[in-house]
Amino acid sequence: MGAFSLITDAERRVPRVVVVGLASCFGCQIQITNAEPYLMQILGQIDLQYWQLVTSEDMPDEFDVAIIEGAVTTREAEQTVRAVRERAAHVMAIGACATTAGVTGMAAPGLGGRVGEVYEGAAPESSGELIEPRPVSAVIEVDSEVLCCPIDPMDFVAALQRVLFGSNRLPDTRTLCSDCKRNETECFYNDATLCLGLVTRAGCGARCVNLGRPCNGCAGLSPDANVEAARMACATYGVDVAAFDKALEMFNQVNPALAESGDE
Amino acid sequence: MLYRVMDKRELPALVRAFMESYEVVAPVKRGSGYVFDVIGSPDEIELDYTQTDASPKKYLMPSTETLMRFDAQMNLVDDFTEQVTPRVVFGVHTCDINAMNRLDIALIEGKYVDPYYQARRDATMIIGISCVPGDNCFCHLWGADEAQFGYDLFLHDIGDKYLVSMSNVEATNILEAACEISEATDEDRIAFRQATRARQAAFNKDIPDVQDVAMLMDVFHSDPFWEELGSRCLSCSACASVCPTCFCFDIRDVLAPDGKTGERVRTWDACTSPGFAAVTGGYNFRPTGRERVRHRMYHKLNGFFVNHDRMLCVGCGRCVKACKTGINPIEVLRFFKRKGADHAK
Ligand code: SF4
Ligand code: SF4
Ligand code: SF4
Ligand code: SF4
Ligand code: SF4
Repeated sequence: MGAFSLITDAERRVPRVVVVGLASCFGCQIQITNAEPYLMQILGQIDLQYWQLVTSEDMPDEFDVAIIEGAVTTREAEQTVRAVRERAAHVMAIGACATTAGVTGMAAPGLGGRVGEVYEGAAPESSGELIEPRPVSAVIEVDSEVLCCPIDPMDFVAALQRVLFGSNRLPDTRTLCSDCKRNETECFYNDATLCLGLVTRAGCGARCVNLGRPCNGCAGLSPDANVEAARMACATYGVDVAAFDKALEMFNQVNPALAESGDE
Repeated sequence: MLYRVMDKRELPALVRAFMESYEVVAPVKRGSGYVFDVIGSPDEIELDYTQTDASPKKYLMPSTETLMRFDAQMNLVDDFTEQVTPRVVFGVHTCDINAMNRLDIALIEGKYVDPYYQARRDATMIIGISCVPGDNCFCHLWGADEAQFGYDLFLHDIGDKYLVSMSNVEATNILEAACEISEATDEDRIAFRQATRARQAAFNKDIPDVQDVAMLMDVFHSDPFWEELGSRCLSCSACASVCPTCFCFDIRDVLAPDGKTGERVRTWDACTSPGFAAVTGGYNFRPTGRERVRHRMYHKLNGFFVNHDRMLCVGCGRCVKACKTGINPIEVLRFFKRKGADHAK
């Protein structure tokens, strides 16, 4: 779904927007505030009904666009996103937690045992009924995504505008190295250093590599990633293949594509 | 063509003379490799570079550029001409000069002129320099080891001196004003011939010289080789980013945060990107690495040749380094060589 198309001209109004936070560090919601020079302009384009970070009110029952941050880690959260889906014309997932289960996803394997490690006995009731962390898209259909951990404020603004004004742009699935090459930084593989750019979705402009650090894969595994070929590349360049697989888990632990490729 | 000879020690004076009226970009060291970048002093130039990791194509067709501005509310388009920086690209090898000539064919000499590219091309002076081939270079196989045109000055290294080919009046004037130049002597000409021969002998002999490559591309169009090669493609398009002749792009409208005005932006795209051949309705006519890699090699080694009588690959070897899974035209040549050997049996 591209534009804010479920609203007919007759009912056209300023779109009502809610921002929902699930299991996350709230960093992506904070990143929205980092679009500070433009915040008033953005708020002028929407009717912001609810922003979890800044209110203690309950979420309203009616809205048009729902922006969801965070992974689904409880039965309650699952119900929340289902209810959101029923009401929203457009659901946008923002940040690695919401789009890949992110860092919280690392808790998925052997979840029961981990709860015991953290709490004595069972988790307190206030934690809710814990389930294996999963991205929002594993529970409901998601219309658009803003990638990375955390999101880039201006990526968010652009994504919101696509919802408000429409866009026929398809999501990019190519992996990061092409963007990295444009920056003309040296490839980490030249000195046998692991970098996940080989399989990670392009879009961030190879931000970490620009800062001198290898890509951690926070934009998530590309649906067109060729993990087998990337393992082969690691072997060729003297990078430990097991270390590559391990590193991939940080943001892709619950990605079914990795389970299929015999990663575990 | 006019030839003159200049002393190598005068090179900094020549660069400084260009710097007076142009932005000068040249190969400089970065990490363990080289990049073309703006220089602040002739001392920064590394003329002994084998190859830069990415090509100087970025000065003619930047990875992202604005094509026009618009007002979405008023439905208006602004006349827009990008400020083009008058620039000298100093120290360009023959592969890259030939690559620019090929870009000209695609972007200027065809039915539709790309005005953005043309504006940059017109504002850019190219100062070529001879080179010593590295292990990944195979420009000689495509006749790109010599630049017959497409530069303003070309400096042939003949020991202590450069034999300079001059093909532009302004560049020649700058050269003459900045340096002591003289007529080439017989000795210079002999040195030139020796340098050329030494260069020709320095190419990596492990890269097979195969005849009729364009024809072989058609003959082996359905060979399982393409599945083998394409199945290891990472879908990254690093190859196209570094390639001096890849010119494909995507066009996107980018709104300003106020949602009222915006820019139409062109950004590099490539046939190795999974969505490149997706069309309305969602059908993708090159859905896997096999089709995408084969297409890339076809455009380089067959399609362009059939239309323009020269390869779209200039053998610069950059993709050989950039592709982490060893997909490059040399692998295609090796495949043809194996096939030839099989048939000879
Ligand atoms: S540094 Fe990482 S992202 Fe950049 S080209 Fe190398 S593997 Fe790709
Ligand atoms: S370089 Fe990798 S880890 Fe860094 S922001 Fe981009 S996708 Fe995320
Ligand atoms: S051929 Fe190599 S460099 Fe090009 S997209 Fe495929 S893996 Fe990337
Ligand atoms: S295909 Fe590779 S070798 Fe040929 S011109 Fe492009 S980057 Fe250079
Ligand atoms: S090889 Fe692909 S990206 Fe490069 S010019 Fe040809 S079609 Fe475009």
